[in-house]
Amino acid sequence: MRQITYREAINEALEEEMTRDETVFIIGEFVSNEPFGTHKGLYAKFGKKRVRDTAISEAAIVGSCVGAALAGYRPIARLDFMEFLIIAADEVLHKAAKWRFCHGGKQAIPIVYRIGIGGYIGGSVEHSQCLESIIMHTPGLKLAIPATPYDAKGLLKTAIRDNNPVVFLEHRLLLGVKGEVPDEEYTIPFGVADIKREGKDITVVATGYMVQLTMDVANQLQERGISVEVLDPRTLEPLDIETIVSSVRKTRRVVIVDEDTMRCGVTGEIGMQVLEKAFDDLDAPIRRVAAANLPIPGGIMEKYVLPQPQDIADAIGEVLGLKERLTVRPLGRFKFDMEHMKSPK
Amino acid sequence: MELTKEQKIKLYTNMVRVRKLDEMMVKGILAGKTLAFFHSQQGQEAVGVGACTFLRKDDFIFYSHRGHGISKLLPKGVPSRAIIAEHYGKATGTCGGISGFHTSDMELGIPGISGTLGGDFVIAAGLGIAAKMRGKGQVVVCIQGEGTYGRGTFHETMLMAANWKLPVIWGVENNLYMGCTPISEIHPKENFADLAVGYGVPALVVDGQDVIAVHEAFQTAVDRARAGEGPSMIECKTYRIRSHAEGIPDLRITEPRPQEEIEAWKKRDPINLFQEKLLKEGILTPVNVEWIDREATKEMEEAERVATEDPLPDKAVLQKALYAD
Repeated sequence: MRQITYREAINEALEEEMTRDETVFIIGEFVSNEPFGTHKGLYAKFGKKRVRDTAISEAAIVGSCVGAALAGYRPIARLDFMEFLIIAADEVLHKAAKWRFCHGGKQAIPIVYRIGIGGYIGGSVEHSQCLESIIMHTPGLKLAIPATPYDAKGLLKTAIRDNNPVVFLEHRLLLGVKGEVPDEEYTIPFGVADIKREGKDITVVATGYMVQLTMDVANQLQERGISVEVLDPRTLEPLDIETIVSSVRKTRRVVIVDEDTMRCGVTGEIGMQVLEKAFDDLDAPIRRVAAANLPIPGGIMEKYVLPQPQDIADAIGEVLGLKERLTVRPLGRFKFDMEHMKSPK
Repeated sequence: MELTKEQKIKLYTNMVRVRKLDEMMVKGILAGKTLAFFHSQQGQEAVGVGACTFLRKDDFIFYSHRGHGISKLLPKGVPSRAIIAEHYGKATGTCGGISGFHTSDMELGIPGISGTLGGDFVIAAGLGIAAKMRGKGQVVVCIQGEGTYGRGTFHETMLMAANWKLPVIWGVENNLYMGCTPISEIHPKENFADLAVGYGVPALVVDGQDVIAVHEAFQTAVDRARAGEGPSMIECKTYRIRSHAEGIPDLRITEPRPQEEIEAWKKRDPINLFQEKLLKEGILTPVNVEWIDREATKEMEEAERVATEDPLPDKAVLQKALYAD
């Protein structure tokens, strides 16, 4: 099968859905030439009516999507950083999420908020966060966090066709990652977890960039005879808790990994749901790996806050009851794939 | 274009209907039937009625908490029974009894209301984008209280609407008080309409007690928007007769609002002013006036009676209301 990057997969999904449905349009700051390269060719093909550049006006970007959706359009807002979405907190957490509910449940509000997320770029406090916990916490928003090019394309097409607001989180460090994506049309349903790697000794639940870190750790541990199952829920709302629970019933041990702040976070939510459903099936306590309860510092300091491969390996070792530390390779310095910047448009 | 006799009678009748419904809503609070709250708009009828009575069915409107929108909703065709029923928490209410006080009906061009003030501006812009893309001449009329124009969302929206020439008409329903705060405490200038100047958007200040003046100002703006010429802003100077919300003291900062101020504005009651004019023009007779009053009273009494008997919603609707299929 052909291999394309995560960035190209996103671009294909946008191009295909905008071609298929003329009510789909994109709105945001410099979306005509999106600096992370996911919009290549869109402005040239669809024009300024459907690829709409705005001022720095997050509330108007995020909120106008609600109005356009109420009137029968399918807007896609692109915000390059999660922090920008939180500027428009009222618009995303109240208007997009709750407008249908508080008006009696008769309207459809099809929106995709495509948001760039993630640390490990030295970006400091306000350019490194994921904040998926806030979104998962809010009733009325669906939440997808693709980890591979295949998932990115299939989930984005589903998000665009969904009749509800979907927050779609794209990790910056995944954009250049290559993976198999078929030529033919496909979509991936929401609420269906994917076992990224089968294993029998322990289950590790992770999303987004954390899937990549976990896979890397799992491959290193395989050499030491430890078989790690890596489970990616792919969407956190809806959450496929059944598949998580059945994996835990099989391995009887679980570690949950998330890039967002640990406190009141995704790991706590999933962990508690596992306890409620499968407490008796566990042979060891659950361990969580997530960002420390600190803001994310810039530069080299961020490694003391963001989850590291060694943190994942240590949690696995602890749940397995190993006396010896499972040492794994540390993360190298991040490298942005900026190939796309060489030929804009 | 000069309004016909029938159109003038319609404006008058709508104002009377809005006043009678407002009075019924106040009674609903006193009777303990209204489950949340009510913000009476008595004295401000001409703004919504003048702006919304002759809009197209597929035009969109946004209203505020003032009167919970009734001066815009009745002219746009929402039945009074459904509005009362929503306040009584009934399944037949404008939002199925879920909202407490919201009204939404996309068939009538009513998307709903933001709970946070100023949240509607950006949504109105989105409907403006849709209306413009669709190209059928639809317009969006978004009327908010003057205090709401303090929100930053207004700046972002105005920039977007002006830049893309969106067919949106921004109405400032300036009743001179933001809650108990007189606007001189929160706004550096007399006219909020001046805000439009920086965006190159035409703006107008009109007497909000004169329903014809309000209608004409909005009609000009609507015609402009339909022709693709972009947004306008209209400020209507008006005054609310009752307290900010039923049951709370009617204050100016920390003292009671001056009685002489209230009495002076009562002399400029929009319904009385228009009634006098129509009587003088021979468009209405005292008999007509009495008949319109009686019919409106009957409508609201019947609506209230039916709403009282309407069923309560089932708990199961909550789960279904969260996501669309």
